[in-house]
Amino acid sequence: MPKFLTNINAISWYFLMPVLFIHFFVIAFPSILSLLLCLTDWNGFGKINYVGLENFEELFRDRIFKKAVYHNFIWTIMFLTIPVIVALIIAYLLTGIKRGQLFYRLVYFFPYILASIVNCLIWRYIFHPKHGLGGWFENQGIDFLSKSPFAMKETALYAVAWVDMWHFWGFLVIIYLTGMYQVDESLYEAADIEGATKFQKFRYITIPMIRPIFILSLIIIIIWSVPTFDYVYILTMGGPAYSSEVVANHLYSQAFQRMNVGYASTIGVMMFFYVGIIVGFFALLRRLGWEV
Amino acid sequence: MEGMMNKIFNFFLSFVLTAFFATSTFAATKVVWWMESDATTDPVVQEFFVDAFNAEHDDIELEVVFKEDINDTIRPALLSGSGPDIFDTPGASYIKIYQDAGLVKSLQEYADQYGWQDKLLEWAYNSGVFNGELYSIPKNYETMIYFYNKTLFEENGWSLPNNLEEVEALAAKIKAKGMNPYAYGSTGWQPTHEHLVGNYFNTYAGPDNVYKALIGEKKWTDPEFVESIELLRKHMVDDGYWSGGLETYYSLGWDDFNGEFVNRESAMLMIGTWGFNVTATNFAESSDDWDWAALPILHPQAGDKPNYQLATGGTMSVNAASKNPEAAAKVIDWILSDRARVLNVTGQLGYGAWLMPLHYEDSDFDPNIDPRQKRFLTEFAEATGTGNYGYTTWTFYPNDPGVHIWKDMEVVWAGDITPLEFMEESQRLWDKARADDALVPVGKR
Repeated sequence: MPKFLTNINAISWYFLMPVLFIHFFVIAFPSILSLLLCLTDWNGFGKINYVGLENFEELFRDRIFKKAVYHNFIWTIMFLTIPVIVALIIAYLLTGIKRGQLFYRLVYFFPYILASIVNCLIWRYIFHPKHGLGGWFENQGIDFLSKSPFAMKETALYAVAWVDMWHFWGFLVIIYLTGMYQVDESLYEAADIEGATKFQKFRYITIPMIRPIFILSLIIIIIWSVPTFDYVYILTMGGPAYSSEVVANHLYSQAFQRMNVGYASTIGVMMFFYVGIIVGFFALLRRLGWEV
Repeated sequence: MEGMMNKIFNFFLSFVLTAFFATSTFAATKVVWWMESDATTDPVVQEFFVDAFNAEHDDIELEVVFKEDINDTIRPALLSGSGPDIFDTPGASYIKIYQDAGLVKSLQEYADQYGWQDKLLEWAYNSGVFNGELYSIPKNYETMIYFYNKTLFEENGWSLPNNLEEVEALAAKIKAKGMNPYAYGSTGWQPTHEHLVGNYFNTYAGPDNVYKALIGEKKWTDPEFVESIELLRKHMVDDGYWSGGLETYYSLGWDDFNGEFVNRESAMLMIGTWGFNVTATNFAESSDDWDWAALPILHPQAGDKPNYQLATGGTMSVNAASKNPEAAAKVIDWILSDRARVLNVTGQLGYGAWLMPLHYEDSDFDPNIDPRQKRFLTEFAEATGTGNYGYTTWTFYPNDPGVHIWKDMEVVWAGDITPLEFMEESQRLWDKARADDALVPVGKR
């Protein structure tokens, strides 16, 4: 048998090859194609004309794109704060619960396993101005939620983010909880002997000890915030008046509604570079000795 | 023994060859049709078109595959040179793109052979003609009208409005009674906004002006169009005509606004003719009666008689890669050739689907047809036959300007841009579409 086939160091590569092969045709090849398409005015079907950097010029003039980028930024900030803080606190509190912990974990994690369409419909009904909370409050003589937050341009983005965060934070609880269970119990015992409070143990033992998993969660949030699409599309389609439009939503509209596939590819390329910068940043931190 | 074996072998061989040639010669040609799926429509189509066709034909076997979001499904299939023989599309703007890419077959020779031009209404036939050749046939036609609660109108002594002044006076009376003038909403279907824009273009600016703008003889930035948008903005935002206000309009879906209409929360429902079925069904359970009317003319420049906006709701075409285009054309012709059968199918669907634009005659109609529905069909045919028609955005606009109409109308309502800025962007997109040769056929007025 040829030596390269039995080389123990190469065996893992052979097992990875089928996945790499599929990955190339499903992800890498279309991505490379997208890099080329961004220099064209292709509508998705017919002739492909080279237009140079025209799409990029158009992109930097596109007020909707700028708005969408800003919304993605807000979205990322929201996800880096609210669900993270809530999940950390809940996960820490759960470590102190011995009986019924599994029940709480299930309840918190449940929205994460629901399809996005189901989550969206639940919240659309809750915020329905007539049949939801608004209607109930109206019957009590209280003018609260009489207008759906999805229908107001001042609140639409936050309302959609709220629904997505409601579905997402249970996932964070589980991964933080997993990290917390790996912390050496003797550290807490030592802290107890020193008379540390619960908050002090959380701040000086738990947080530093789960740092790798915590940083990983932040990376996941930042990267997943870039292509966020489904909740926005189902609940508001980016409206009203683009007030909840995000970049992936704008890309979809350009590619599949306006049939500007070349231009949509330009948006895709910008998203790709943005994710590349984020990954590069964390790679740099790792190189500098940060435990990320 | 060897002779016996040879005989058996020869017998076996001749049997196999005979069976092979027999099946090759007499096997029915299979025609596959990818059709947009709809839970109500699918069983009716299967029984009255597919099964009926197959029962009548030995030479062709029709198979319809009902698919969700046909436009997303058909795209990769056509690009890869596969896909069905016949396929549905949402409208002419898509056909234009397929035709440019050579993905759809010209039906001109079959149109000439079977006389489709005489079978279809002229405007409907023309909507599928690109560069002088037929590429698509409308599956359904529709227009914008309004339904009203007849009992409510009679109780209050309200009469149907004929001009802007009367529309606004009636709306004030309805609001004074604590109701909304119109029920409508856009949840689940953002392009709902374009229904309203089209209504205001055709009843305020007028179909002649819309036609001139469509063919490039007028600018979309001309005052009549800007004023149309301003009037729509006023009625939507300042006056809250639709379901009480902009935010409620954004929050209501199909069931919500239909419920609002039948429950007397709104007096009228301005909608496409696809609303006949649900209106009739809902009011059947109510003590109130309903009727419909053509949209009132809001400005003298729009003419002195109500016009009906032309719209095709979906089209059928033949795949350029089809191996059986003749058989596919025969299937299409079978459907176009029996008006009574089409009316039977569309009648079962409340005339909301498969209302093909054919030259219907009185004798084609089921004697039990709702007289209000029949009045629409005959009045529409008469009015459009005399050239009294307008244009919907979803049938006569190319993709980019079409999406702009419903996406950016929200920006006008939000007050972020003025009606003039909105129309300037519209003109820019039309100029681009014209330069790219992406316009869809309009037909000479």
